[in-house]
Amino acid sequence: MSRFARPEVLVPGVALGATLLVFAALPLRTGQLLTPFDAYNALQVLARLGPLILALGLTMIAGEFDLSVVGTYAFGGMLAVTYGQDHWALGLLLALAAGVAVGVLQGVVVARFRISSMPVTLATYITLLGLTSSLSGGLSKTFDNADVTLWVDRPVLQVFSPRSLLALVVFLVLALVLAGSRWGREIRAIGGDRRASRVSGVRDDRLLVGLFATSGLLAAGGGALLNFSLGSANPDPGVQPLILAAVAALLGGVSLAGGRGSVLGLLAGALTIAFLAQVVTVAALPTYVSQLFYALLLAGVVAVDAPGLRRGVLRLRKVRR
Amino acid sequence: MSAVTAERRIVRPRRTDVLPVAALLVLLAVGASTPRFLSLDNVKAILTSASLIGIAGLGLTLIVIGGTSVSLAISQSVAVSAMVFLAVQSAGLVVALVVTIVTGALITGLQGLVVGYGEANPIVLTIAAGFALTGLATGVGGGTSVSPTGTGYTVLNATPGGLPLSVFTLVLLTVAVQAVLDRSVFGRLLYLTGENRPAARAAGLPVGRVVTVAWVLAGALFAIAAAFSGAFNTSANINLGGTLTFDAIAAVLAGGTPIAGGKGSARRTLAGVLLIATVSDILLLRGYSTGAQIMVKGLIVLAVILVVHLRTTRGRP
Repeated sequence: MSRFARPEVLVPGVALGATLLVFAALPLRTGQLLTPFDAYNALQVLARLGPLILALGLTMIAGEFDLSVVGTYAFGGMLAVTYGQDHWALGLLLALAAGVAVGVLQGVVVARFRISSMPVTLATYITLLGLTSSLSGGLSKTFDNADVTLWVDRPVLQVFSPRSLLALVVFLVLALVLAGSRWGREIRAIGGDRRASRVSGVRDDRLLVGLFATSGLLAAGGGALLNFSLGSANPDPGVQPLILAAVAALLGGVSLAGGRGSVLGLLAGALTIAFLAQVVTVAALPTYVSQLFYALLLAGVVAVDAPGLRRGVLRLRKVRR
Repeated sequence: MSAVTAERRIVRPRRTDVLPVAALLVLLAVGASTPRFLSLDNVKAILTSASLIGIAGLGLTLIVIGGTSVSLAISQSVAVSAMVFLAVQSAGLVVALVVTIVTGALITGLQGLVVGYGEANPIVLTIAAGFALTGLATGVGGGTSVSPTGTGYTVLNATPGGLPLSVFTLVLLTVAVQAVLDRSVFGRLLYLTGENRPAARAAGLPVGRVVTVAWVLAGALFAIAAAFSGAFNTSANINLGGTLTFDAIAAVLAGGTPIAGGKGSARRTLAGVLLIATVSDILLLRGYSTGAQIMVKGLIVLAVILVVHLRTTRGRP
């Protein structure tokens, strides 16, 4: 199979390519040229969802599914707003520390008991939502530090903001670290065949704890920066961010079965979601169109990944011949 | 198989066996010492809040036992079914119920077809289905809520003997699903398929069909929950399902049905949903916040998952 026919290249290539084409074709519908502001807005979506996509996507590559990311996102965001009113750095640090703590705890449970991470992280997700709600008495909390709110979204070079730049830097740094060290290979290895990788000397337990800690750190940091930008903390962001993060990871060529995908793929998935959101906004499409479009894209992912469907197609081809 | 485990349990009682019993005793003790916990009104409140999640949870139980993970589109399936239920009220209650159950069975059954025969990943597929259902419901209905076109639905809000009809339905359906699981050929096949799908396939079992039937039945159960939900709310839009997806998953897990498949029962799901409802109720009566209730729910699910996992993997490398 040629390099481009592999799902981890094909899926993000097609998804991002199609999205950017539609984005570039926007003036045909609106009659107005694209402005840097359109790109700025798309990158703001990347800033909002990017950390979450990385947090979930990295665990998916390792064959796990960290549903708790959106709980950590809410919890980290609430901590950052609650304790960052006077010193934003203090709130952010607390959020990051809490994210790592949650991640390490989950990683230890998953690695120590060799238990499926999906139910565990679902339970943690519910627990964290409860904890976040207790912190704020179930209400939204406003962040009064307007300077920080303005600064994180300040346009940089017209299309970026400190927040979106940071998200991009995190993507690139992680891509370099995972490509340049044995970690990248090992994460895919434990995602593909945990037992075989263990036998061949991969310390899968340590790797899992590290991964879940990274996931918690990213989710909490993402939540903190989002709330700084919004100027408030919402105790329950709902499941939509989680679903969108999963969609982005899948469109980035990551498989839920594990063992496949890369950070650059995740970035491509994140950009797909970000530019799609901007397309829907600029073209003033009703939201249901984007819902159907996501359904269609995911149907493609399902088809690429379903062995039974693939066998069926092959059989059909043979019959025709 | 259950006979074997039972025998082993008698020979060598395990430490983890004590846990559920101890937990139940603690729960009852705390409950009994909570004012108003044992009042009839309160028991009614517990059962009512449990009933809709329980009925949807029964459907999810079939999906989980079959080894096809979970559906992440329960909320959307229930919402769309409820919209259909209210929209066809003018045809009378019976017709409306039949149409709703068929719709629900079709929605989830089609997904089961792709999961069963196509071996599609259920998580990805149901996320896609959730988007498709939301998109279609909003596109077709223009985003407005559906109002009932007749009044037949009010029958579902009846409270014979002081308990809502949905509670009786939950009990009846639990018995029915349990009977299907225990006594029918389909039930046996479902456990075998969930335990080890490649082995079941190699043994010539109709794996695709078994999974599809499980999802069809699940969809029918989601639709029954939807009919009650639509009747109770007297209007339905795509957001009607709310947090039902994760509530149902939590109930199934809290009952001790492992996500890996091949094990579990309708009784367990009933126990799980009652456990969560009871604990939430005790916390509510004792004046704890909603946040605390949600947090404890998460911790219960976590504890049950760990205990069940330790029990099933004991003695294995």
